[in-house]
Amino acid sequence: MTAAGRTVLVTGGTGTLGRELVRRLAARPSAPRIVVLSRSASGADARLPAGVRVVRGDLAAGSGLGLSSAERDELSGEVNDVLHCAADTRFMLPLEEARAANVGGTHAILDFAAGCRALGRMGCFSTVYVAGRRTGWIAESDLDDGGAGFVNSYERSKHEMEREVRRRMGDLPIAVYRLSTLIGDSRTGAVSGPNAFHAALRLLYHGLAPMVPGRPENRVDVVAVDYVADAASWLFDRRFEAGRTYHLCSGNEGSSTLAELIDEVVEAFHRFRPEWRRRHVEKPAIVDPETYDLFVRSVEETGNEVLLRATRAVQSFAGQLSCPKTFDTRATEAALAGSGLRPPRVLDFLPKVVRACLESDWRESAA
Amino acid sequence: MDFPTIGIAGVTYRLPSIARTLDDLDARGALRSAPAVLAGFGFERAWVAESETALELAMGAVGDLLAETDADPDEIGVILYAGALTSSSTLATDSSSDGAALHLPDVMDLFKYPVSRIQAEFGLTRATAVGVDQQACASLFSAIRIGRDMLVAEPELRAVLCVAADRFPTHAPREMIYNVVSDAACAALLRKDWRGNRILACGHVTKGALWDASEMENEIIAAYFPTARTVIRETLERAGLSIDDIDWIVPHNVSLRSWEILLGLLDFPREKLFAENIARVGHTIASDNLLNLRDLLDSGRVREGERLLLFTFGYGLHWSCMVVER
Repeated sequence: MTAAGRTVLVTGGTGTLGRELVRRLAARPSAPRIVVLSRSASGADARLPAGVRVVRGDLAAGSGLGLSSAERDELSGEVNDVLHCAADTRFMLPLEEARAANVGGTHAILDFAAGCRALGRMGCFSTVYVAGRRTGWIAESDLDDGGAGFVNSYERSKHEMEREVRRRMGDLPIAVYRLSTLIGDSRTGAVSGPNAFHAALRLLYHGLAPMVPGRPENRVDVVAVDYVADAASWLFDRRFEAGRTYHLCSGNEGSSTLAELIDEVVEAFHRFRPEWRRRHVEKPAIVDPETYDLFVRSVEETGNEVLLRATRAVQSFAGQLSCPKTFDTRATEAALAGSGLRPPRVLDFLPKVVRACLESDWRESAA
Repeated sequence: MDFPTIGIAGVTYRLPSIARTLDDLDARGALRSAPAVLAGFGFERAWVAESETALELAMGAVGDLLAETDADPDEIGVILYAGALTSSSTLATDSSSDGAALHLPDVMDLFKYPVSRIQAEFGLTRATAVGVDQQACASLFSAIRIGRDMLVAEPELRAVLCVAADRFPTHAPREMIYNVVSDAACAALLRKDWRGNRILACGHVTKGALWDASEMENEIIAAYFPTARTVIRETLERAGLSIDDIDWIVPHNVSLRSWEILLGLLDFPREKLFAENIARVGHTIASDNLLNLRDLLDSGRVREGERLLLFTFGYGLHWSCMVVER
């Protein structure tokens, strides 16, 4: 167990998921020592629990992590567990930038971990969308895009990251936790890291989302951050098994279809902003990818800046909506047995997320 | 209850005498987008009324229609004059130096109506003359819908004359939301118990929230496609049909690209869209669909019993659809 006397190093500890993991670690009666590696030690710890040590470092600096040699030596002797959450989750980065952050950064932490004399466990966080454009059944053990390619540079770079992680699994005790898109807290709706999903909701709210590619019946897997944090904490803490990969997503039962998701969002707009009805915004049409691409191309040809920004925001993940897949969660479910954890149904908590977005005017929810 | 069959017994249209190419329009500062972009969207030219008034174009179309349909002036019980532009609904503009913006040397000019002139000119003395406006490019659809409903509701009414005529100010831009705009007039005669071009259903949605065409252009573009699909689906449903039952789509002459996108939303084959007039004529405000209907019927490609879907869209903001059976 991650308990008193152990030291956990967390990368990305100030990010959406990392912060939740740190909170859970710190809330334990016998909390471990928690060290968060952060590029900006100054303000980064402001929202972290008391007692968490923030060290200024940078995965871009390589295995030295941008630490002083004294700090590095100290940490490599002390760290028992590593939770690698750091990633650049922007979908539309140039591939080389995405690789530098997500593959290069992982190289760095793997190399550091290899030098940790008391390392017991390492958890690497990834995305279920390492499957790229592949459709159908995606097993937790799979790491194969089936030659279908990727929707964006984030997916590709995380796929490459996982390849590197797997290569090192022979030497290091690593488990991989793949998440789908984090959209908010299922209990409060709070959004701690607005992402492309929220950007798309905002466009819909403002009547700037005419269409999305896909099929109405295609399932869209987004997930609650509290479930992911709880499940990852349990799996890492109580059921750690090196070499395993887990899907922390809504799965077939928790997710909704694209049409259901759009309907629920529109219904929530009506419920929480009754005056929105007067705007008479039409639900976006769900169209085939060719029609969507033609629309995007037309917007590009006109050079209309507002619509260009709007289409690009959707385009960053839109391709995934036309690649229906079912994520295998059997290994995760088996390992979660006894925890009482299961992914909440997206349609049950999505209205809370929408309300939080509206109340925060599409910014990060208040802590 | 059995309703009488209302059909479109005839359609005529008039274009101005001058057509200008995209390059010509661009050289005159009348385009916002590059000619190549507009050409890529299917446009070639705009018809520009430099020597004709909107009323003259309308008179020409009505005269042709009455002659072609052998209409007895006493048969026509209602004239519905559809003006998309506010300036089209008054003759005050005729005395304006540039021919369209309101020009009021005398406030009495505001009471001089083109529909009255048409009634007088053609001796339609039994007709009630009515203006239909604030519907933009959907004006003629609204006139036809109102005319159809009047024919259904009033036993003694036998025929309704619908007229649309619009002319942009001489120096106004000729591009609106990436569409090339022409001047034109169109006239249609609705007859009771007329089986040809039988009107099966009409549908219309207004979204007043998007009334400000200049400030809400992006929202209007975004609203266009999904709302168009909704209105078309609802109209088909009203007719007891699905898109698979439609043999032709008769468009408004907005960009061909936008039609290709909308066809994708409707899952309708491109070859069944009568699109030739987008390049040849351009977007004639309210006259497009009926003008296209006339040309499509003249082409001989439509067989008896085939169903045609007409769809248009206008500022205000209006989406309008009609299903017709040949």
